[in-house]
Amino acid sequence: MTFWLHLIILGLLGSLAGALWRVWVGPAQADRMMAAQLIGTTGIGVLVLLAVLQDWAALTVALALALLAAMAAIGFVKAASSDGAGDPEECAPGPTDARDGQR
Amino acid sequence: MTLALDLGLDLAFGALILATALAAVAGQGLFRAVVFFITYGLLLALVWARLGAYDVALAEGVIGAGLTGVLLLMAQGRLRRADALADPPARGKLAAALAGASVTAALVWAWFTLPLPQRIDLDAPMAASGVENPVTAVLLNFRAWDTLLESIVLLAALVGLWMLARDAEWRAPLGPGFHARAGGVLSVFGRLLPPVGLIYGVWLVWAGADQTGGAFQGGTVLAAVILVAMMAGLARAPRVGAPAWHAALAFGPGVFLLAGIAMIAVGGGFLTLPPEFAKPVTVTIEAALTLSIAVTLALLVVGPPEQQNGGGT
Repeated sequence: MTFWLHLIILGLLGSLAGALWRVWVGPAQADRMMAAQLIGTTGIGVLVLLAVLQDWAALTVALALALLAAMAAIGFVKAASSDGAGDPEECAPGPTDARDGQR
Repeated sequence: MTLALDLGLDLAFGALILATALAAVAGQGLFRAVVFFITYGLLLALVWARLGAYDVALAEGVIGAGLTGVLLLMAQGRLRRADALADPPARGKLAAALAGASVTAALVWAWFTLPLPQRIDLDAPMAASGVENPVTAVLLNFRAWDTLLESIVLLAALVGLWMLARDAEWRAPLGPGFHARAGGVLSVFGRLLPPVGLIYGVWLVWAGADQTGGAFQGGTVLAAVILVAMMAGLARAPRVGAPAWHAALAFGPGVFLLAGIAMIAVGGGFLTLPPEFAKPVTVTIEAALTLSIAVTLALLVVGPPEQQNGGGT
């Protein structure tokens, strides 16, 4: 059982490394942000498995991440809006393929 | 077999942390660096959990992945709107790299030369602390003085932040004046997260006396709840002079201070909790501190008052 748990965690960490590569490559800001969200989700999976492997207290940490990992996405939409306080849904729909450093 | 797998897991965690840390400081572009830094906080939480330090993992997770991410992303957006995103000159980077490398070298040297600390026997003092989570006992009982000062430092940080406001904007509500499309994704999320976050945050504080959790972690989750409600445009940010919010800010340190003085009256010393009152006093201080930590952290992320509808931004 522990053998398989270790193996699954290693697999999840592999997928996490893939998401890290996507954060590095981009190219759009949204690509990097979505990859960071994927890392958050994968991290929750790793914590749940660590809870089985080590101590159920890890589940408390997993819950915290599940609740708060989306905070970065909110910060991202705020920063992406024109005045830094709104949200992109308020503007007319259109391509919002923001590259680093430009719009 | 399991030993080899354990080692493999630790090596994988170590490699991921190192790669993320390097990626955060290397390469061009502020946005990428910010996203890598958020990821780094998340991975640190995983590694603390792997090491069995679940209280630290929780603190790192809620602060690193939750609040710091919002703060840095919004700062990056502000720099972009001010057209100030240019990378610093190479000479400054070299100096920063040298300073960073020497700190790393000093830490490596300390790791190999300093003696391992003696394991402190906590069994006897824990029995007198009234709580079962050693982290809570240390923070609110054995070293309560430190925690009291830290809660006041948070307050001082907020006052310092407010001093950055321009005179003309002093009476405006705090922050950039968040708004969102009514019925849009953000405002629905702003209704979804707070009830769950409220229950979880309060539970973290209550459970923190005897297991993983505590006032700081619970307060940070509640700060995120306040922030989400404000950023979704559902709750209005207060003005600097709002009396109810002032009371919430001062409540925690105030109760902590009064409890400390009351302990002199019952025969302990300042902040020395006698075993028979330890549990109720600890829980009272934690509850009051949670409220103040939640409001202080939320207002720290929201920022100083800024004029809305044109002007500064």
